[in-house]
Amino acid sequence: MKLEVHNLSAGYAKAQVLFGLSLEVAEGELVALLGANGAGKTTALRTVSGLIRAWGGSVHLNGQSLAGISAARRAKLGLGHVPEGRQLFPLMPVEENLLLGAAFLAWEHRAAGLEYVYALFPRLRERRGQLAGTLSGGEQQMLAIGRALMGRPRILMVDEPSLGLSPKLAEEVLQTLAQVRSEGMGVLLVEQNVALSLEVADRGYVIEHGSVVLSGSAAELSGNPQVQKAYLAL
Amino acid sequence: MELLLQTLLNGMLSAGVYALVASGLALAVGVVGIVNFAHGEFLMIGAFISYLLFASRGIDPLVSLGVAAVAVFLIGAITYYGLIRPVLSAPELNQMLLTFGLSVLLQNLALLLFGADTRVVSPPYQGSTLSLGGLSFGGVPLAAFVLSVLILLGLYWFLGRTRLGLAVRAVAQNRLAPGLLGIETQRVYLLAFGLSAALAGVAGVMLSVMLYASPTVGFAFTLKAFAIVVMAGLGNLRGVLWAALILALAEALVSTYVPGGGGWVEAVFFLVIFGTLTWRSWRRA
Repeated sequence: MKLEVHNLSAGYAKAQVLFGLSLEVAEGELVALLGANGAGKTTALRTVSGLIRAWGGSVHLNGQSLAGISAARRAKLGLGHVPEGRQLFPLMPVEENLLLGAAFLAWEHRAAGLEYVYALFPRLRERRGQLAGTLSGGEQQMLAIGRALMGRPRILMVDEPSLGLSPKLAEEVLQTLAQVRSEGMGVLLVEQNVALSLEVADRGYVIEHGSVVLSGSAAELSGNPQVQKAYLAL
Repeated sequence: MELLLQTLLNGMLSAGVYALVASGLALAVGVVGIVNFAHGEFLMIGAFISYLLFASRGIDPLVSLGVAAVAVFLIGAITYYGLIRPVLSAPELNQMLLTFGLSVLLQNLALLLFGADTRVVSPPYQGSTLSLGGLSFGGVPLAAFVLSVLILLGLYWFLGRTRLGLAVRAVAQNRLAPGLLGIETQRVYLLAFGLSAALAGVAGVMLSVMLYASPTVGFAFTLKAFAIVVMAGLGNLRGVLWAALILALAEALVSTYVPGGGGWVEAVFFLVIFGTLTWRSWRRA
C-alpha cells in the first residue's frame, strides 16, 4: 500500500498554508517530514487524514482517490493519524482509550491488539486502569501512538511525538516507530527534532511555505549543507 | 415522623422521572454540546402521544412507552439533522436562540392542535395505592419510579458496556480524535440527540398519567432538568442521579413543611441553581 500526495493545496479560512505539496510514503518505510514552525507540516497531515478539506491537488491511498471521503472512512481504509496534542480521552482509563482505537476498525482483534501495544509499550500495561489525563507526557504520547496502532493502519502519520519529552524518552518513542516500520507499516513522521528523526528515518522531505524544497535519503539530508545550517545547527 | 418518612418517600419516587429527563438533557449538553431549551417539548410530545393513543384506541400507557420512545427518538434525530447540525459550530448564543425558538414553536403548535386544556390519561389502575407500615404509595408513581430506574440502568449499560456507548462517551471528551479512529462522529451525535429526546419522551408518557398532558407541561421540566444538570456538573452523567434525588427531596420537603408550600415548589429548582453556583464559586475562590 502506498500513500501518494500530489500537488496538494489547503488552508484555513482565507489563509492558504499548503502550496502544491507532493510526497509519497510506502509500506515498510519511515519518512520524515521536516520544516520550520509554520511551514505546513501539521496542516499537511490534517488534510491527508481528512480533518480539513483539500483546496486542490490529490491524495491517493492504495491507488484510490480520497477526495470527498470522511476522516473516519480514511481511517478504515488503513490510514492512521496521531494528531498534534495527542487528543486523548482524558477521563477514560488507558485501556478504554486503546479500545477506542479499534472500536470501528478491528474490534474482533481487540485482545490481540492490546497485547501488541502492551508489548510495544510495557508502561501502558502497568497504567492500564489509570485515567489518561493523569499520565505523564511521555506516557500520553505512547498512549496516543498505541491507540492509533490498535486500528491496524497500513500507513501511520505521527505529528511531533517528541514534543515535551525528555531526550531519552523522545529517542525511545522514535525507536518504537522504527520498529513498527520494520514490521511493514509505512510511517510519516513530522518532527521539529531534525537530528533525531534523520537518525531513524529512511527518507525525508524538507518543506518551506507549504511545498517541498528538498528531498532525499536520510543520509543525503544529514549531509546537505543547507539542512545542516538551517535545522541541525552545525 | 411518619409525615417526614412519607414526604421523603414521595420525593424519592419523583426523583426517578426527574433523573430520566435530566439524563436526556445531560446527553444533549455533554455529548452533542448543545444547550437544548426545547428538551421539555420532547417530553410534551411523549405525553400527547400517550394521551392520543389512550383517548382514541384505549391503548395502555405501558404500550405507549415503547411507541413514544421510538417516535420521539425519530423526532429528535430529525431535529438534530435539520436544525442542530447546521449550527454546531455557530456561537453558543445562536444555538440557544434556536432551541429556545424551537421550544416556543412546538408549544404553540401543540396549543393550535390540542388547545390549552390539561388532559389526563386515566387507566383503571390510576388511583391504586399500596400501603406498607403506615406509609402509602401511589401505584402509578411507584411503577414510574421502577421503570425509570430500569431505563436508566439500560442507559448506563449501553454507555458503559457497548462499543457504541464507548464511542458516545469518547465524543463527549474529545471532538477531534474519534474521526481519526474510524468513528463517524456525526452519526454518534445523531444517536445521542435521538436518545436524549427519547428519554424525555418516555418521561412524558409517565407524566401523562401522574400529571397531565398540555402544551406547556414540558417547560417546568426543562427548568428542573437544567437545575439538575448544573448541580451535577456538565457532562457528569452519574452525578445526575444524585442531583435529581436532591432536587426531588427538596421539593417534597418544601411542599410538606413550608406553609402554602405547594406554590413554592416551582421555585425550588431556582434556589438549587442559585445555591450550587454560589457554592461552587465560593469553593473555588
